Amino acid sequence: MHWWFWPEVELKLSSRLQRSPAGGAGKAPTLGGGFHVSLGKESRAQTLQNGRRQIHHLGNQLQLNQHCLDTAFNFFKMAVSKHLTRGRRTAHVVAACLYLVCRTEGTPHMLLDLSDLLQVNVYVLGKTFLLLARELCINAPAIDPCLYIPRFAHLLEFGEKNHEVSMTALRLLQRMKRDWMHTGRRPSGLCGAALLVAARMHDFRRTVKEVISVVKVCESTLRKRLTEFEDTPTSQLTVDEFMKIDLEEECDPPSYTAGQRKLRLKQLEQVLSKQLEAVEGEITTYQDAIEIELENSRPKAKGALASLTKDGSVEDSTSSLCGEEDTEDEELEAAASHLNKDFYQELLGGSVPGSSEAAGVPEEGRRPPALESLLGPLPTAASLGISDSIRECISSPSHEPKDACGDGELDLSGIDDLEIDRYILNEAEARVKAELWMRENAEYLREQKEKEARIAKERELGIYKEHKPKKSCKRREPIQASTAGEAIEKMLEQKKISSKINYSVLRGLDAGGGPPGEDGPPPREHGPPPGEDTGPQGEAARPPEWTSARRLSRRKTSSRRSRPDPSTSAGKRLRPLVSTQPAKKVALGEASLPSAHSLEAERVRPTVVVVESGPVSYHAEEDAEEEDAEEEDGEPCVSALQMMGGNDYGCDGDDDDGY
Amino acid sequence: MDADSDVALDILITNVVCVFRTRCHLNLRKIALEGANVIYKRDVGKVLMKLRKPRITATIWSSGKIICTGATSEEEAKFGARRLARSLQKLGFQVIFTDFKVVNVLAVCNMPFEIRLPEFTKNNRPHASYEPELHPAVCYRIKSLRATLQIFSTGSITVTGILF
Repeated sequence: MHWWFWPEVELKLSSRLQRSPAGGAGKAPTLGGGFHVSLGKESRAQTLQNGRRQIHHLGNQLQLNQHCLDTAFNFFKMAVSKHLTRGRRTAHVVAACLYLVCRTEGTPHMLLDLSDLLQVNVYVLGKTFLLLARELCINAPAIDPCLYIPRFAHLLEFGEKNHEVSMTALRLLQRMKRDWMHTGRRPSGLCGAALLVAARMHDFRRTVKEVISVVKVCESTLRKRLTEFEDTPTSQLTVDEFMKIDLEEECDPPSYTAGQRKLRLKQLEQVLSKQLEAVEGEITTYQDAIEIELENSRPKAKGALASLTKDGSVEDSTSSLCGEEDTEDEELEAAASHLNKDFYQELLGGSVPGSSEAAGVPEEGRRPPALESLLGPLPTAASLGISDSIRECISSPSHEPKDACGDGELDLSGIDDLEIDRYILNEAEARVKAELWMRENAEYLREQKEKEARIAKERELGIYKEHKPKKSCKRREPIQASTAGEAIEKMLEQKKISSKINYSVLRGLDAGGGPPGEDGPPPREHGPPPGEDTGPQGEAARPPEWTSARRLSRRKTSSRRSRPDPSTSAGKRLRPLVSTQPAKKVALGEASLPSAHSLEAERVRPTVVVVESGPVSYHAEEDAEEEDAEEEDGEPCVSALQMMGGNDYGCDGDDDDGY
Repeated sequence: MDADSDVALDILITNVVCVFRTRCHLNLRKIALEGANVIYKRDVGKVLMKLRKPRITATIWSSGKIICTGATSEEEAKFGARRLARSLQKLGFQVIFTDFKVVNVLAVCNMPFEIRLPEFTKNNRPHASYEPELHPAVCYRIKSLRATLQIFSTGSITVTGILF
């Protein structure tokens, strides 16, 4: 019967002694013996337990049924096995698992709900969720806004007409889907719009504000959806018509129509500008024609002026035949002359505009085709260029050598030093800038100074703790041992726990140690093995005792070890605790629960007995208990409370001695 | 390539991100005081320097590592990086221009038709992922090219990729 206690005793031992490697990054299951396997599993079990607890907590808040919670826990287990929980908050992973379940089951829960519960940014949760779905290769079906309608309708409280309004809203949504309003939009926004319209159709006054508070979108979003819906032909139908008829035609998505509208506007503008130019051209020709007429009707300029103008015209005509640049200059001159409208200038340059304009019109005619010819080759060249580069990239990924050949020297070709000089401020500017920066960042600088002052003060007082860089935990080599006992010895040597351990006893442990040690987690979770049941025990009484027993057993390793037969003694220690008279049990439970000062009170009384004689008295008590246990009777002399207090005391006494 | 000249899909590179090292320690304070177009973020420990000619923004750390963003082509990125190194040289640091590497390229493309995202996602299951609650576009990843495409329902596509 006694070895029933064995597994959990061993585990407590192991958990105590090997706390850090198991708790930290100890994912490397050392196979040096049965002991080590249970250690790796224990940490994993703890993680899973923690995750399960969080899942249940969140799931209950969302009112998910048990099946969903179990599925979520399965996802969590998969995630843990794939090491996806590393570097991520468990809360995030748990939320992602739950949301995945919601999506696969089709429950009307939004990611927003989860983020509300956790007070975490939605996008952060979304990132975790996407990663999880990707890694677990689970295809979450797309959200259908129809799923949300019953939920929101219920929240908007339509009374008996709830079902009718929901049906109307569903029809509206389906119409919206056919009109391509729902791609790329938050489903909750669409739901809100549909519900609003449906409510109005059934004579319910629901304001935009009410709908927003339920649906959790912004007011402007809702309005936008409503206007988009207004643009569709369905909005023209009356209520009855809508319920009966379903229009055949489908609309384009609103963003696409908006884009098309912009394009059309641009095109219109271009056409208009061209027309304007043409019109302008016409106007200028008329203007020039008029001027020529005027000029001809005027008396001719004499002598030098005439020669000048004639020369100018000859030059102009020749130059106009040459390059575009010259004509452009002339264009500029013509434009300038037009703008000035100076009679005298016109006299001089009268011939100039005349000839240049003649060249100008065909030039203008030339201009649009020139642009087109310029634009023409661009896309094809671009497409060709890109294809080349793509081929290059895919075939030969070796760009490094080209750069390395520069070997650190800065290639100054094409770098304009003058402009770079402008980037460097002179002294006065530097001073001004320094002052500005100081003023802006005054707060931060002040904080830094305060921090430094504080550190200096602490240093003087000798309190200052240097934050040492954390030493990375050394990986221990797996212990090679032939028997469990040897393994324990080696491990203890490594850990350097205590010199009080009796190794001969350890070897004795080996005999019963093997198989039960592997059943680590279950017996621990299931509470005291059935063997020690001595009658009906209150549930409330058991856990506190158990925890106290656990606490006690954990601390008393050394003392236990020193016994000739620690397993039995340990078992027996627990037994007396548990198998006290049922009447006293309740008292124990009650006493242990408001533990703090009752224990304190208790402390005072047995102090004299226990502390003075430390371990000795403890052992004596233990012997007494053993005897009692063997008698299988409740302790006659020691009261339950005293025993509780006494045991705790013995514990502390040992602790003082051992450490 | 067939019929390319008719339907020219112009794909525009909008951003090129590159890194390089100067192999020398940079005194951020000095750069901040003497540089003309510089933002000094002391709490994070970096300096943002903006150049006008190739319009780029460079993040400078005191270890000598510099990240350059905002260029519209790879050559421009290199050119801008060199200019930046030159200006740092003028400020007095012994700059050596090493380890220039283009790290990320962003391009935008427009399709002349609209795209139905839910159906598209269904047909391209492993690569495409669509979360309307989070982002209005479908995220399509090509592992072999290490590229990510964001496909919007209007037909515009944003391509991001890290090339090596």
